[in-house]
Parts: sequence; C-alpha cells; structure tokens
Amino acid sequence: VEYPATVAELTRHLRDGGYLADRGLATTLLLSLSLRRPVLLEGEVGVGKTEVAKVLAAVFGRRLIRLQCYEGITTSQALYEWDYARQMLQIRALSAAQASEAAQAAEEPSIDQLFGPKFLLERPLLEAVRQGDRAVLLIDEVDRADDEFEAFLLEVLSDFQISIPEVGTIKADSSPVVILTSNRTRELHDALRRRCLYHWIGYPTAEREAEIVAVREPGAAGQLTGKVVAAVQRLRELDLAKPPGVAETIDWVRTLGVLGQTELTADAARDTLGAVVKDRDDLDLVQDNLAEIISGA
Amino acid sequence: VPNPVGTAPADRAAAGRFTSVLLGFGRELRAAGLRVGTGDVLSYLAAMAPLDPSDLLDLYWAGRATLVSRHEDEPVYDRVFGEYFLAEDGPARGQLTVSAESVAKAQAELVLPGTEPPDQQPDEERPLLGWMASDVDALKHRSFTTCTPEELAALRRIMTRMRLTPPRRRTRRTQPARAGTEPDLRATIRESMRMHGEPPGQLYFRRRKTKLRPLILVLDVSGSMTAYSRHLLQFAHTARHAARQAQAGRVEVFCFGSRLTRITRELASQRVDTALEEAARTVADWDGGTRIGPSIDELVRTWGRGGLCRGGVVVICSDGLDRGDPEVLALAMERLARLCHRIVWLNPHKGDDPDFRPSSVGMMVAAPHIDLLLSGHDLASLEELAGTLPTLN
Repeated sequence: VEYPATVAELTRHLRDGGYLADRGLATTLLLSLSLRRPVLLEGEVGVGKTEVAKVLAAVFGRRLIRLQCYEGITTSQALYEWDYARQMLQIRALSAAQASEAAQAAEEPSIDQLFGPKFLLERPLLEAVRQGDRAVLLIDEVDRADDEFEAFLLEVLSDFQISIPEVGTIKADSSPVVILTSNRTRELHDALRRRCLYHWIGYPTAEREAEIVAVREPGAAGQLTGKVVAAVQRLRELDLAKPPGVAETIDWVRTLGVLGQTELTADAARDTLGAVVKDRDDLDLVQDNLAEIISGA
Repeated sequence: VPNPVGTAPADRAAAGRFTSVLLGFGRELRAAGLRVGTGDVLSYLAAMAPLDPSDLLDLYWAGRATLVSRHEDEPVYDRVFGEYFLAEDGPARGQLTVSAESVAKAQAELVLPGTEPPDQQPDEERPLLGWMASDVDALKHRSFTTCTPEELAALRRIMTRMRLTPPRRRTRRTQPARAGTEPDLRATIRESMRMHGEPPGQLYFRRRKTKLRPLILVLDVSGSMTAYSRHLLQFAHTARHAARQAQAGRVEVFCFGSRLTRITRELASQRVDTALEEAARTVADWDGGTRIGPSIDELVRTWGRGGLCRGGVVVICSDGLDRGDPEVLALAMERLARLCHRIVWLNPHKGDDPDFRPSSVGMMVAAPHIDLLLSGHDLASLEELAGTLPTLN
C-alpha cells in the first residue's frame, strides 16, 4: 500500500487501523513520510507513542522492526553479530573434511563463506536498512540508551548505511519510516533532535478520549465509557504522582467489562481502581475523594 | 527549495513572498530565544510542499514539527506564531494569501496565548493555589556581573580546581577483565579462531562496568540566600563543566525561589559570565520569597518522575526558611528520598558549628530524609562536599 499524500487521507487510514491521530500528529507523520525524516515522539506515559508505529506498519502493510533501547545496549545488539558458535562448528567440519581427503582447492571459498550472510545475525538496524521502504523502524524509549549509543544512532539515521568490514557497505535503496519515542528520562542530544521532526503527544480531551476508547474497545457501552473517561479526566486534575494515561482508561473500561459492570458505581470503582491508579500514595488520595471523582460522571 | 505554488512568473513571485514570510518567521523565533538554524527553516519550507500553504493550520503544525524540538519551547512557538500569523497587524497578514475562513478556524482550533507573554500564566494561578501574600515574587533580573571582578576571578580560579565526583554504581554493560564472573565467549572464541579452531587454551572474562551516578544540584536563590546564591551558581557552573570535560556523569542544575527553574541548559556556555547572565535571565524569581516544598514537589513531579533523579545524588542548597506548608515539603522530600540515591543538604546557616540543630520548620521537616548535612557557606565547606561526595555509597 502506498503512503497517502494528504493529511486527511492519512488520518482516515490511521483511524481504520484503530488509531485516532489529531491534526498535529497526522501532519507530522505525513511530513515524515514525504520528507523521509525520522519522527521523535515525546509525551506522557501511556498516550500511545509506540502505538503510532505499530498502526502505521499494520495499515500500510510494512514490517514493523522494533529496537527496544535499554541501558547498556551495544552496537552488536542493535546492528549485527557474527554467529560464533556456527562459525566454530563450520571450522571443525572443514578441518575434519580436510583430514579425510585433500580438498585443498575448496578451502578458499569455505573460509570466505565463514564471513558470509549465513553466519551473520541481523539485528534490528541492519534489518531495517535491508528492508528499506518495506519497513517501519520503531526505536522505542531512546532515552534509556546511553549517550554513546545515541551518537551511533545518529550516524545510522543520517544516511542509512552500515559498513561491515567482512561483507562491505549495505545501503538502504529507500530509507524506512523511522519513529523514535522518548519518555524524557534524559535530555536527548540536540543533534539527534535536529535530525528528527518533533511532536509532543499530550492527554486527549474528554470527547476525543471517549472516541479512542470506542475505537479500541468496540464492545464497551457508550454510557460506561463516558463515565470512565470523565472520572479519568478528573483523576488527571487531581494531584497524582502518576496520572493515568489513555492506556489506563482503556484498561479500566476493559476491566469493568470483564466484571460485567454496566455502571461506574463507587463499589465497582473501588474494586477496579488498580487498573488506573498505580501508586500507594495516589491510591490513598483517590480513595478519600472517590465519591467526588465518580459523581456527576 | 521546493516551490509550493507553481512555475508561472506570477506564481514565482508569490512563492518568493511566501518564502520570505517563512524566513521572517524563523527570524522571529530566533529573536524569541528558540534555536532555529537555517537548516530548520529549509526543512520548514520543504515541509510545506506536500501541504496547503494557504491553510494556517498546516503552517502551524509543519512549523511545530520542524522548528521546535523541545516540549518546553512550544509555548514560545505558540506565542510567536500568534503574533506573526494571526494578529491583525502581524507581519504575515499582508504578505500571505490566507482565507478569512482559515484564520477563524485556526484561531478557534489553536489555543494560542495571543500577544501575552507566557510568563503571565503562573501569576494568574497564584491566588488559586493559595500562595501567601507575604511572598514577594521579585520578578527582576539580578545581574551576576555586580560581583567585583577580582572576587569573581579568585573564586573561579579556586573553583575550577574542584571536582565533584558522585559515587559510582554498577551498570549492565560489561568490560573485559582479567578475572570476573562472566566468561567472555566472544574473546575466547576469537582467540580459538586465531589458533585455527583449536579449543581455547585460556578463558577470557568480563565484568560489570561502573558508572558515575547523576548529580542534581538544587539551588535556593531566594532573598534569604542572596549572600550565597552567586557562589553556588558559580559552583554549579564549574561542576557542570568539570563533569563535561571529564566526560563523567551527568550534572543537572535547578534554581528555586518561589518556583522551580531548570538552568542546566543555560549554564552550558563555556564562559562563566555568559552562562550566569543567561541563567539570571531565566530565573524569574531572583531574591524573592522561598517556597521550598512546592519547588521540591515540582522537581519530583516534572523531572524526577521522568527518571532524571533516579539513582542520583541530589544536593539541595537552602537555608530551609520555607514560607509554604511544611506538610508539602515533608511529602515531597519523602518522595525525593525514595527516588534518588542520596540527599545532601547544604545549609549556609549551619556555619562551622558542629552542634548545629535545624531550627527552621523547613529544615526540621526535611531532616529525616537527609543523608548528609553540610554548611556550604564558604569555599572550605564546598571542598568538604567535593571530598565526601564520592564516599556516599
């Protein structure tokens, strides 16, 4: 499937895939598709940063290649690695063959094969470069990787080519769509920000959130959804250490659905509060104000 | 530069006008303090190619995506966009062919602060939050350059020799080691390959690397700390640059009086004077009242929750004279203590008195969560801090 050319079209496609993008996000994504620049998405926890890449890949029939960043991630975990164990076995097999018969002539190519594609373990970045436009590359939680890794990432993102000394340079014929997400645990380098289009995903408005829940949980009753959304919006206004994201709202609706609740009563809310509030202090605060939070909802 | 309109001569003139409008917008943003490079403006122009140049919403979002790279910069962008494109007498009004309908739609959909500077917002919140009337939020720019040159030079000389080294922690990364717990399979097999695939004669090992913990300096710049805050800022600047030169851990610097301001980026300038001026311009409540509780609370909420303080050493420099609710401070300190590795408190009023007992309410409330209490009233005590910091394991 070709990528669309207008914002409206892209929004419609994403909606078909179960993702409601607002004008800003849709514009940024469209620009990324047409300018072929990576998008850096930041925002509160649970507002659907990772989801964007997943839906983009699903809707346009691209392969989603995910590079989950974490502290201590190394280039061999992101790029490629030689399969040492297999190489080892191959060497043993070669020398055994050599001992039995004089296969000297065949020796040269076998050694070359040792560093051929058969023994190369592709990791996400190399895979993305090979796939080119057929892939969507998601670099998740880039802020968790260390600074040095970021510099390396910058190099790969700028020209999408990877040099493997034994094999040569591999270059993407067309660059894949790249989506980076960050939770801002660490300030990213300016250089990396420069390279990307930037978008901040905030909490949605009540109507929008209700729409999102309706798209993601089609089975939920509209009335219940409305009440849950209103309650969550009120929770966000409350002074919580960990305000609930959209993912929590969906979870809450789902939890209530599993329990067969059709109303957001005080008892039902108390029993299922764990789906939205995930901090002990917050829980105390919410328990005290529970009536207010769900009343009038 | 892609041509957003067309190729006929009249169209080309329009395209030229359009380009100059966007260039002007870039200049305005730069004047407002955003870092907008020529490359960014070029991206902006390129971004408008697949979009509709007569639609203000497209203009807005394309600019947001290409010219802004930080969430904190968005209010400034919004303000400048409002002034430049939306205001009746804005520079772009006569130049751009924008339908009145588009303007109305943009004004309705974008919640722009109009021509009001964004600094006004917290002030409006104040009565709502119940801020105390006695708090003088002195919104004035205090110049650091009033310090005598000799004094500054002497301080600088001594301070640049000081190194703040936070304690270390183990990371997930490993490094080759003579002896260790994990065998280094890669190195061992590489060695074996060198021997034409013979079984390795020697096993190589790896062990876990260690890394410096992040250091977070939180400086009180309120009225009661006037005598010390300048030194503290100078100290923060040195600490930050020493860490950067040595490529050692991360140093974050915050200031607070009646509210918290992050000045890490402002202190980035190599020249001390420029950096301090820059910081003074950012800190709006220089020499004002103190609200430690809400400031620490904000640190935990906006920065700490994101992970900035996690596992770090937090150094708070304050006299603990809090005008706010002690309850807030107690809760915030408790949260902070759980989040970071160690909390060091520098209280200049402690002085050289070894039997110092915290007398202010703020200090008493914070005391249970403090791991180390030092004075920080002179260079000697700052040296003491530098000396004890690496041992805070």
